Amino acid sequence: MVIQKEKKSCGQVVEEWKEFVWNPRTHQFMGRTGTSWAFILLFYLVFYGFLTAMFTLTMWVMLQTVSDHTPKYQDRLATPGLMIRPKTENLDVIVNISDTESWDQHVQKLNKFLEPYNDSIQAQKNDVCRPGRYYEQPDNGVLNYPKRACQFNRTQLGNCSGIGDPTHYGYSTGQPCVFIKMNRVINFYAGANQSMNVTCAGKRNEDAENLGNFVMFPANGNIDLMYFPYYGKKFHVNYTQPLVAVKFLNVTPNVEVNVECRINAANIATDDERDKFAGRVAFKLRINKT
Amino acid sequence: LFQKTLEIYSVELSGTKDVEKTDKEDGKEKYRGLKNKCLDTKKNHQKEEFKKELDLDDHKLSNKELEKKYGTDIITGLSSSRAAELLARDGPNALTPPKQTSEIIKFLKQMVGGFSILLWVGAFLCYIAFGIQYSNNPSSSLDNVYLGSVLILVVILTGVFAYYQEAKSTNIMSSFSKMIPQQALVIRDSEKKVIPAEQLVAGDIVEVKGGDQIPADIRVLSAQGCRVDNSCLTGESEPQSRCCEFTHENPLETKNICFYSTTCLEGTATGLVISTGDRTIIGHIASLASGVGNEKTPIAIEIEHFVHMVAGVAVSIGVLFFIIAVCLKYQVLDAIIFLISIIVANVPEGLLATVTVTLSLTAKRMAKKNCLVKNLEAVETLGSTSIICSDKTGTLTQNRMTVAHLWFDNQIFVADTSEDHSNQLFDQSSRTWASLSKIITLCNRAEFKPGQESVPIMKKTVVGDASETALLKFSEVILGDVMEIRKRNRKVAEIPFNSTNKFQLSIHETEDPIEKCSTVMIHGEEQPLDKSTAKAFHMAYMELGGLGERVLGFCHLYLPADKFPENYSFDIDTMNFPTSNLCFVGLLSMIDPPRSTVPDAVTKCRSAGIKVIMVTGDHPITAKAIAKSVGIISANSETVEDIANRLNVAVEQVNKRPPRDAKAAVVTGQELKDMSPEQLDEILSNYPEIVFARTSPQQKLIIVEGCQRQDAVVAVTGDGVNDSPALKKADIGIAMGIAGSDAAKNAADMVLLDDNFASIVTGVEEGRLIFDNLKKTIAYTLTKNIAELCPFLIYIIVGLPLPIGTITILFIDLGTDIIPSIALAYEKAESDIMNRKPRHKKRDRLVNAPLAVYSYLHIGLMQALGAFVVYFTVYAQEGFQPTSLINLRVDWEKDDVNDLEDSYGQEWTRYQRRHLEWIGYTGFFTGILVQQIADLIIRKTRRNSIFQQGLFRNKVIWVGIASQIIIGLILSYGLGSVTALSFAVLRPQYWFVAVPHAILIWVYDEVRKLFIRLYPGSWWDKNMYY
Repeated sequence: MVIQKEKKSCGQVVEEWKEFVWNPRTHQFMGRTGTSWAFILLFYLVFYGFLTAMFTLTMWVMLQTVSDHTPKYQDRLATPGLMIRPKTENLDVIVNISDTESWDQHVQKLNKFLEPYNDSIQAQKNDVCRPGRYYEQPDNGVLNYPKRACQFNRTQLGNCSGIGDPTHYGYSTGQPCVFIKMNRVINFYAGANQSMNVTCAGKRNEDAENLGNFVMFPANGNIDLMYFPYYGKKFHVNYTQPLVAVKFLNVTPNVEVNVECRINAANIATDDERDKFAGRVAFKLRINKT
Repeated sequence: LFQKTLEIYSVELSGTKDVEKTDKEDGKEKYRGLKNKCLDTKKNHQKEEFKKELDLDDHKLSNKELEKKYGTDIITGLSSSRAAELLARDGPNALTPPKQTSEIIKFLKQMVGGFSILLWVGAFLCYIAFGIQYSNNPSSSLDNVYLGSVLILVVILTGVFAYYQEAKSTNIMSSFSKMIPQQALVIRDSEKKVIPAEQLVAGDIVEVKGGDQIPADIRVLSAQGCRVDNSCLTGESEPQSRCCEFTHENPLETKNICFYSTTCLEGTATGLVISTGDRTIIGHIASLASGVGNEKTPIAIEIEHFVHMVAGVAVSIGVLFFIIAVCLKYQVLDAIIFLISIIVANVPEGLLATVTVTLSLTAKRMAKKNCLVKNLEAVETLGSTSIICSDKTGTLTQNRMTVAHLWFDNQIFVADTSEDHSNQLFDQSSRTWASLSKIITLCNRAEFKPGQESVPIMKKTVVGDASETALLKFSEVILGDVMEIRKRNRKVAEIPFNSTNKFQLSIHETEDPIEKCSTVMIHGEEQPLDKSTAKAFHMAYMELGGLGERVLGFCHLYLPADKFPENYSFDIDTMNFPTSNLCFVGLLSMIDPPRSTVPDAVTKCRSAGIKVIMVTGDHPITAKAIAKSVGIISANSETVEDIANRLNVAVEQVNKRPPRDAKAAVVTGQELKDMSPEQLDEILSNYPEIVFARTSPQQKLIIVEGCQRQDAVVAVTGDGVNDSPALKKADIGIAMGIAGSDAAKNAADMVLLDDNFASIVTGVEEGRLIFDNLKKTIAYTLTKNIAELCPFLIYIIVGLPLPIGTITILFIDLGTDIIPSIALAYEKAESDIMNRKPRHKKRDRLVNAPLAVYSYLHIGLMQALGAFVVYFTVYAQEGFQPTSLINLRVDWEKDDVNDLEDSYGQEWTRYQRRHLEWIGYTGFFTGILVQQIADLIIRKTRRNSIFQQGLFRNKVIWVGIASQIIIGLILSYGLGSVTALSFAVLRPQYWFVAVPHAILIWVYDEVRKLFIRLYPGSWWDKNMYY
């Protein structure tokens, strides 16, 4: 009737544990004898060795299906995204004119980012291409490697090139330059053989008012067809991504301005509900003046 | 044409006369023994109360003393005001129901039981994580809210499911309350009134008549031919007469007390209420039964063990990686999210529901085989049963008197006692048999109920007592239409067997009926009864009595027609006819024969390692005889007493040290009461074959406890109210569906619809099968936990983009895996499960180390690798080669990085990456799914090859596989557009990437099983067999 609850004392529990860890009678360590442990370790060595081999084998077989130069599928990249430079936290471009440190890091990044665009480097590595048409380099049965890239000279960015610019891309004067770039997608013929350009605008009406005037380099925000198609980083070694620089001239200070830039190209949709960066980019601009 | 009237007497001999006598003495001993036991052990307060009840002395008091004691008047009854006073003092005459746990508490218990608490923690952490995210960035994604809500939904749904299952099982007290008679005829204020029985108080004078239930414990003041059925209280099925005389010291045996809730069969009685409600005998038994703790079933213990194990793994891995994550400089928020994911991946959310469904499927299957399971978990308990304490009457036997032997012409004949009596082999040509059969036919009041022409004879309902019924059926089978014979031989006068008068006469005659006979019929000739014949008769009588059979003697006397003409008026009161100098024709002995299926069933239990113990209230001789005939005591084993008899030595001299000569033991209640628990333990552990006879209900409880002390899982069968404490105490109580009282049925976990012991064997088989199959189900379910867990660990340590989402995991656990894991319940046994020992409840766990290790570290790991291959394939073919994924996690998950470069120099926006991540989830999901199909197939067997078991024998497995694939297809192609579910459309070929690994799993498991079969007992067997 009365069930005797076996309450173990603390000492007993410790004792039991001790015996579990090392049992002197049976010479068992953690419930197994030395031979048993040896067997187990050997078994798992062999077993896991075999599993690793199996995994490696299947992975190797799988990698045979993948080419080094072009991805097998590109269905996710039907619409290239747009992105800005300088790359900032949450894409908020905040400039405190008086506080040098607030924009110095942006300037550093931009300097670094634009270095490969230096005219000297471009002239040294890349071709001068004919504008207005795709720069196609088909393989025609023989691997055409490496493929040539077209020049995009830093000077094309005009006032935003930062060359000999005491205003540091306008950041020190509250007229910052923001660079727009389109994501690289292999074998993508952007614009479908028609010219394309980037336009920017305030997101809402008040943003448009606060945004004020801006200028774009190259003029009109044009992106030339000659920079397409992209052949992948293995083939297209010195590929230089075309840029569009936007210099905001009189942004209302101390106000957050939502700016949206989009690409106007025949084959790039910019109205994807879910992907907010498909063919467009939205960022915040705030110039703090004291 | 005038025929001589034939007068025949039948005389009852008591085959167990000697036993009866001793028993009358130890009747009270028996109960006194109980008292001692209670005092000795001082177990609990209820027993003390019971003891007090037995000190009841109302049956010894005279009417005057009673009036004084209860302050009442036998003629006028209580006054209404006094009755109201007493009612206010003692409370209503009803059994107090046990404290009910409120439904809400039960429901809430389900909500926090098992894995629920872990999932609550997970959900809570989700909301915390979202709270932190939201406070940092109001536009953060709602993923954590979705996940938290889904987790809560899962907990609530499984909780509701479990609650619904539990609510279906019934409550023990309900039947006790159902037994309460509704109305009682009471004398108050000198008036007869009908009042609700609940309002009865001690001191009330009540009248009962045939058909009523006794409204309270009453002391009979006057009675006319009153007979009560005490079967629900004591288990005796013979009706017992009640009168106002004090006949026995023991209140339970005396004739002048009627008990609450028993039935008055015939006659009328007036009585004084001596106790009401909980103070009645039934009330005490009820409280005894409900006082017996509801212990956890073995399977509940196993599942708890399993839950603890899995929860332990989940929490320790979770905490470990929380710490690792913090050390790796992850943000605490991220670490919390990892913790949630690890918990979700580790907890088999669907498993408990699956187990419930599996058990209820088995319960349904068992119900078809006449085992009605009330408590789902009891399904398995029967499988782990190692001792069955079986009642004799009704379970092992047919519960009807049947003619077993005949003695005439100086010879004993055996009659067929099988269920249909079809095969009577004895010599029916003797003229003595003709006379004997005539007596059997005519001197019998039993009749078939009309309208049963199409029913087989043995199944017809008969009006009459047990012995006469037996004789009637016996003669009907052999002679044909008994009613017709009776019509031809009209009954002139009769002294009914059951009249008080005749009853006493018959007892008188039992002394030696043969003295009344002067002649004996041998081979049809009447011969004078001489000494040698008388001796032969006695020999036969003793032999049959020794078999525990009830012996009836049959004599006849042809009355001369001249002295008793046709119009002679026989007067049964003055007995104006001869009652001696009869001619003795023969003896018939009757027994309640064993059911024909029982010996076979007992043998099966034996080979299944189950010890069958008979516990009966019947006499040791009868009990032993039945035990021998059904194999509970096997043919070649002897008790200590048998050996002493055979060797002609004293019982004490028999070798009792191991190895013992005696394998069997017959222990009477009287011996039991003098035993210490240690002695009982010794008997239980040392004798493989035990019969307990003349036991009281409380001793049954003691026996059950003794068995449980041996770490045995004990099944108890019983049918009376008196059995209900033992039924409740047993690990599994089995009540008889036909003969069982409601209380017994309610206390039991299982009801045998056909009262047949053989059904228990089927139950055992099903129970063992379900235990094996649950192992398979759990092994199947646990396997994928590793495949779900590894992604997170890799994600944290190596920094790959997350391979599988938490919600995707839930879709595996609660979607694709549910039907297959239930399908394993339909798997047939691998070998003869009835040829192995019952599992040891402490050693043979449901989830043992080899099962966990094999599922987690072998198959689980293989699955994880296979699924990773799919994952890497998806990413590599879309542009991210495996090496580029390492440490990509931080940039990958940044919302402001929308130009993440892949292995080919292409740039990805956040949403493009997220979509790829979903494809990865779906790929990983199908990887697990495909390998779970292989896992399902290998789990069909634990030892045999799949090809031995038959790949297609269990069709449900294929239904499960089909469901898996269909749900997978729906998820990846149908719901690919629902953001919250994070599934995406998958290229068809990715479904086949994991197939080599699936095949590997199958091959590996076949190898494992092969070595287990080849080298039983080896290191491999010990470590790899689960």
